[in-house]
Amino acid sequence: MYDAIVIGARCSGASTALLLARQGHRVLVVDRASFPSDVISTHFLWPHGMSYLNRWGLLDEVLAVTPAHTTVEVVNDGISLTGSVPVELLREYFRDLHGDDSGVVQSYASVRRRVLDQILVDAAAGAGAEVRTGFTVRELVVEDGQVVGVRGRGADGEQVEERARIVVGADGRNSFVARTLGLPKFDERPRCTFAYWSYWSGFDLGPAQLHRRGRLACAVVPTNFDQNMVLVWGPSEWSREFRADVPGNYQRTLDFVSPELGETVRARGVREERIYGTLDQSAFLRPLHGPGWVLVGDAESAKDQCTAIGMTHAFRDAELVSAALDRWLRGAVSIDEAMAAYEGRRRSQNAAAYHDYVCTLAEMRPYRHDELQLFVALRGNQQETDRFIATHADVAPVSEFFQASNLFLLNDAAKESSADHAVFADFAGTSRSYQQNLFA
Amino acid sequence: MTHPGDGTVTIELDQRDDGELIGIILAAARRGDVATMARTASEVSEMTRNWATHIPWDDFAALDGADDELARVVADLTEMWEPAHLRNPVDPDEEYALDKNAYDFYRPAGRNLLTRTEDFYDWVQARRRTETWQYSRVLEAAPDSVAQITNDLGRRARGINFNSQDYLSFNTHPGIREAAAKAMHDYGPHSAGSPMVLGNTRISDDLEAALGDLVGLEHVTLFPTGWAAGFGAVVGLVRQSDHILIDRLAHSCLQQGARAATRNVVRYEHLNVEAVRRHLAGIRATDSRNGILVVTDGLFSVDADWPDLVTLQQVCREYDATLLVDVAHDLGSMGPGGTGVLGMQGLLGAVDIVMGAFSKTFCSNGGFVASRSPALKQYVKMFGGSHFFSNALSPVQTAVVREAARIIRSAEGDALRARLFTAIHALRDELTGRGLTCMGEPSPIVPLLIGNEKLARTANRLLFDRGVLAFMVEFPVTPTGSSRFRLQVQAGHRPEEAREAARIIDGALADSRAYLSSAFGSAPR
Repeated sequence: MYDAIVIGARCSGASTALLLARQGHRVLVVDRASFPSDVISTHFLWPHGMSYLNRWGLLDEVLAVTPAHTTVEVVNDGISLTGSVPVELLREYFRDLHGDDSGVVQSYASVRRRVLDQILVDAAAGAGAEVRTGFTVRELVVEDGQVVGVRGRGADGEQVEERARIVVGADGRNSFVARTLGLPKFDERPRCTFAYWSYWSGFDLGPAQLHRRGRLACAVVPTNFDQNMVLVWGPSEWSREFRADVPGNYQRTLDFVSPELGETVRARGVREERIYGTLDQSAFLRPLHGPGWVLVGDAESAKDQCTAIGMTHAFRDAELVSAALDRWLRGAVSIDEAMAAYEGRRRSQNAAAYHDYVCTLAEMRPYRHDELQLFVALRGNQQETDRFIATHADVAPVSEFFQASNLFLLNDAAKESSADHAVFADFAGTSRSYQQNLFA
Repeated sequence: MTHPGDGTVTIELDQRDDGELIGIILAAARRGDVATMARTASEVSEMTRNWATHIPWDDFAALDGADDELARVVADLTEMWEPAHLRNPVDPDEEYALDKNAYDFYRPAGRNLLTRTEDFYDWVQARRRTETWQYSRVLEAAPDSVAQITNDLGRRARGINFNSQDYLSFNTHPGIREAAAKAMHDYGPHSAGSPMVLGNTRISDDLEAALGDLVGLEHVTLFPTGWAAGFGAVVGLVRQSDHILIDRLAHSCLQQGARAATRNVVRYEHLNVEAVRRHLAGIRATDSRNGILVVTDGLFSVDADWPDLVTLQQVCREYDATLLVDVAHDLGSMGPGGTGVLGMQGLLGAVDIVMGAFSKTFCSNGGFVASRSPALKQYVKMFGGSHFFSNALSPVQTAVVREAARIIRSAEGDALRARLFTAIHALRDELTGRGLTCMGEPSPIVPLLIGNEKLARTANRLLFDRGVLAFMVEFPVTPTGSSRFRLQVQAGHRPEEAREAARIIDGALADSRAYLSSAFGSAPR
């Protein structure tokens, strides 16, 4: 009998197991995969994601093999903004959500999952959690409507049954736990992006760059093995046409969104792996918990890759749920009180506003005049640029940036005008041309 | 190829991409060819296999062609590779109406000021068609605790009225109506001109004296609207090299006044007096020559809370800054003898500048600015453009406000406030008891927190037909993602009416959540 069985041993699962084991609980964590192992991912950890690793004592191990930076460049229709997430906002985030602000770091990184997940799994094992990889869960054991354990097949092919006081579903957007329990989806936003990426060596451009033009976008972020993750994305409505020629349209997107980047990749880049892609990214929430089970990470709330927040959110969930479960397992509170505390944090007004923010961005509509004007107004206003980046990354609440008096003030303080940026020259015409499917 | 510290990695450069492979698997699955499925699955990337853990990649060979399992694999792979929304598009009108907000249209494109407003109008029309547009409803008769209204599609409804700012129910008070009739008889409907010329009457002087008595500041200037009073006071006093510290939730007239007056504007965190102290210290560290105006509301009109004015006024004096407090919502409706938040904090006569509006408790239009300084009064009259360059309050309005001020100070005023607070407590208790979140403190404004705009707009649509008139506030009045219903209570509301309204609102919210299939609650964090 375990205190907790965690299904899934990646960002949310291994971390939850690690934290619970450190609190002295008996934990079993299982995963179908054997590590090191890759999975579809942005690989991106925003500074709060890195701060979680630091809080858990794992950051140095990641940084030993992973490049990290602090500033990020965001270019929207040629309007460039460079900034970083302010430390003060990071501290505020941790104080609000977790009650303490220790371990805050300002850097971000792109970590290959074959690197990161191995570190997390090893850390969970090191903390005393029992880790079984190559383990496929076949059934949930349910008694009187209560999940009490799992049945599955281990790496040795042996069928086993294990029991626990709680089963944690940390098994991603296509969660076995959720599907087996027949959980409904809430707050669905079907419109999402398609995303294609690969890993390139041959150039080093320094900090991450995110470019957007019309309905398409690309990002170049340095990652492990002296490679760059080069990712392109666009509206899912265009995916069918994109798919007709993946390598050709991948390069074509780069050339369209940032000709300079397109040229770098073409002339200097060496592609190290095949091109990967997905459009399985529509957003939804699931019920967070029920008798004998609780969900974390993508299993509880999946959304589009366009803000690259999934891994950071998985870490956040791990800290929230392990803190809640620890109080219950120690007997300090009832399971209902513990789950209500977790749910309060995860289904709040701020969480709803960010969900909408990501989902709206994921529609990849061409930026409107007013949105581009806002980017112009932010140029030269470092403090507000940083706050915008923090808002985009779900460090600062959407409501504090997107507030009338703040936006009026940003406007008033603008140092540049639309005259300084080419996209405004024939805005209506440009905007119309952006509606054309580039791949049709 | 070997990566440092990572064992051996298979290079997958020349393998086919997953889209192509899944296409082959789907085609094979449809004809029951499990052998091809299994062979192709082994080529699918580790990335995708580990992502799509619900697909039995390793077990394709064992699937029976006739079994449900195969159909499920086809369905799951199809959903992954060509999601339902690409196959079945949704109602674009409703989606557009619910997903946008007004800020999306704040900076329109184009050089033609007439035509570039059309994008915004398209959105307004989409919201009107879907009956999610909460603005521009009109009254069919004098509103009371119940009102009859028409929405802007011409549809009528009758409901318990939480849309009137008539906190003491003066609109139907015989004394108020009589005062209006008498002024009409004595002076006619027109004010002759600007109050700087000949716009004022004897009643105006009486009213200034009565208001001075109510707030303990004897030098009072009248303005034709509350908005004009706030805007006029700020732009009248502050010059470009001066500074303004303003609560980030202070009323729009003050925010816009601040923007018009100077670029040196700091919007401090709501109610945070310590933040004001820090900003004042920062400004005074480098600027000892120019003025600083600190601006706050008394009772905040969308959050129903108020600052610690005692400390705020002290801090202002320490740094030679001037405090302006807007008492538009609290004066008359709460506090001892109707003295509002100032009276509650023992600050009558002790605040630098007080401004207020007559559009709430005082049952009229108009506003005022009060201080202890006759010089400041004359200066604001001259340089606050909205005083000099507007026609004065009409005699009827002035008489109504004067009578309202009289009743507010009387025993009848105390009785009306007692009834008002009975209804307020009934409403708040019933809402809270149903697990909903009322923000702020008990006051005539009861903000019911909703959060998500879509939820609020949908609930608002339902409430229209269910007999509750509640004003939904969203951006730009509230920040994005923190919409709410602002319920304005009146002395005329019976406690049972208030409780009934709370029950209806709760039902509408539950139904809206179900309609939107939303799992978000409305706790702030």
